[in-house]
Amino acid sequence: MTHPEALLQVRDLRVDVAERHVLKSVSLAVPAGALLVLMGANGSGKSTLGLTLAGHPRYRVAGGSARFAGQDLLALSPEARARAGLFVSFQAPPEIPGVKNNLFIRTALNAVREARGETPLDAFDFLGDARAAATRLGLPEAMLGRPVNDGFSGGERKRNELLQLALLRPRLAVLDEVDSGMDVDGVRAVVQLVRALRAQGTAFIVVSHYLQLIESLAPDAVLWLDQGCIAETGGMALATEIARTGFVRAAEALEA
Amino acid sequence: MDSARADILAARHRLDTRGWIPRHAEAFRHLPPPAAEVWLGDTPAAIGCEAHPLAGAGWTLHPIGHSPQGRVDARWLDAGDDLQRAELFAGLPTLSGAGDAGEGDAAPFAWAHRTLCRQGLRMRIGGAPGAEREASSTVWLQLRHQPRSAAEAPLLVIELLAGVHCVLVETHDRQSLDCRQPIVQNLQAHVRLGERATLQHLRIATPGPADRIAHHLHARLGRGARYEQALIAAGSGYHLQRNVIELHAERAVSSSAGLLLAAGSVLEHQVRISHGAARTVSAIEDLALASGAARMVVNAHTRIAPSASEADVRQRLTGIPTGGQPKLVLRPHLEIHHDQVQATHGATWGALPEDAMFYARQRGLDERSARGLIVEGMAGALMQRCFSDGRLLEAVGIDRLLRAAVDRHLAVGQDAGHG
Repeated sequence: MTHPEALLQVRDLRVDVAERHVLKSVSLAVPAGALLVLMGANGSGKSTLGLTLAGHPRYRVAGGSARFAGQDLLALSPEARARAGLFVSFQAPPEIPGVKNNLFIRTALNAVREARGETPLDAFDFLGDARAAATRLGLPEAMLGRPVNDGFSGGERKRNELLQLALLRPRLAVLDEVDSGMDVDGVRAVVQLVRALRAQGTAFIVVSHYLQLIESLAPDAVLWLDQGCIAETGGMALATEIARTGFVRAAEALEA
Repeated sequence: MDSARADILAARHRLDTRGWIPRHAEAFRHLPPPAAEVWLGDTPAAIGCEAHPLAGAGWTLHPIGHSPQGRVDARWLDAGDDLQRAELFAGLPTLSGAGDAGEGDAAPFAWAHRTLCRQGLRMRIGGAPGAEREASSTVWLQLRHQPRSAAEAPLLVIELLAGVHCVLVETHDRQSLDCRQPIVQNLQAHVRLGERATLQHLRIATPGPADRIAHHLHARLGRGARYEQALIAAGSGYHLQRNVIELHAERAVSSSAGLLLAAGSVLEHQVRISHGAARTVSAIEDLALASGAARMVVNAHTRIAPSASEADVRQRLTGIPTGGQPKLVLRPHLEIHHDQVQATHGATWGALPEDAMFYARQRGLDERSARGLIVEGMAGALMQRCFSDGRLLEAVGIDRLLRAAVDRHLAVGQDAGHG
């Protein structure tokens, strides 16, 4: 799976978490603007892959490589990865008590803009953009003035992740079960945002078990992660098969 | 001999015969204060330091924005004059009387203060009771103190009349002074709240790095009165902030918050609250950040007397080392003499929340910006919890103040770490 032109190129990535081998060998390539869906049973290593790419200190890279936009991703600090254009949404975004959401997002956005050589947004311009994006995503405007994720419901936290995604406009976004906890309108907002960003060139790795969402996203490839390895790569047919038979049955079929 | 001189000699005699705070004194066990000579201005470094620019204005009063000030009777009094000294100390605990007992281990500070005190400010807020006064209006005040000499013992007495609501910002800031000569300051403040009076009190004390200061605040609350105090304090050569709050009238409420920042310096915050009446409520919450070789102690002590049924007490102390190897001691302490009360206390000591730090960095903030933002947020939340009404925080631009204080702390801590 070598793609010289790929935006993200992961080769034989092995990751340990607390002395446990979670990712045993993962290789994948994500071309610019492409959309990959990553499926896998609980504990197969999907979130580990995302957090490792993001540079979480608890995830120790035991071997392999990851190159992003021509750089050695694994050598970069988490903020350097973000500034290079990598966005990883959290399954359970944490609270930051006392830090207003709009201040947090504007500070992050301006750090990224500075890295891109763009001028920082002042509070007025930012608020205009943020309000418009929040409205599109169905996030109440009041959430902008509240502390980050403090008192937010599960769905609101996910919408807040989408808001940051919409404003940061990364080159590659890893969305880890962004649909979980979302209502129908929320899932529709995910699809619309992903389509809009893809049209501007953003690539995606989407972790999801929700077939309807996967179909709506029209992925370029579906990857099945099993016990820390990519067990199979395919198209929508693979996603449909997994949805129909489950991961255990699919694994048996693979072995046969 | 005049009576002012006699009072000074009596205080000095008491200090000489009883002695200074012993090293084993429980309240000062972890951070013993400098010797008595320092607080009396007898040490060589403090001699001959009366010249300009150290001769600051002492206490000055300022308006806050365009907010109404209401009626304030303020009197600057000379403690060297017999009559003015009598007026200045009127109604305060005597050195040998019952009021002295409550000072306990800290009593020598009061004796040293009485010896060195040269001037003070008495404020009566709300004016004369009666039809002239609008009880519902809020009095907004800023009280600024600048050192007048290298060793000094300022006095502040605030009397809030019944039903009056006051917002007070008290600053002790040496940043604007050119003179960087270290000072010694032993300040005593007495706050009296009448029935149903409310005082929202923001105190900011950021001394110079080599200053040695001790601020003692005594508050006594009337029935149904509410006293909310938030302190923003930075460390120095020695810095003690000690509050003694008496809730000896029914339904009195006290809330105390401290944002304590010590980067390679010394800082102690002591809050002692005494519940002596039914249905009294108190909360003490401190956020202590220490770095480098800082030594910091947070001492919270709440006593619920046998007469304080249905008292409601909360203590929450948080200590976070932000670099280096600081010594950070958190001491939550409850003393309960009644069965029918609610009391919680806790102390947590540890790093900044790792998940929030990583989250911020994943969104593009560098480590220092992420740390600053998270600490600022914690400090802001602390202030919000302290005050029942957020107008004070808005009026003083608390976000800006906290950002400056946290930035300064983290910058000094980083420099110390690299050193």
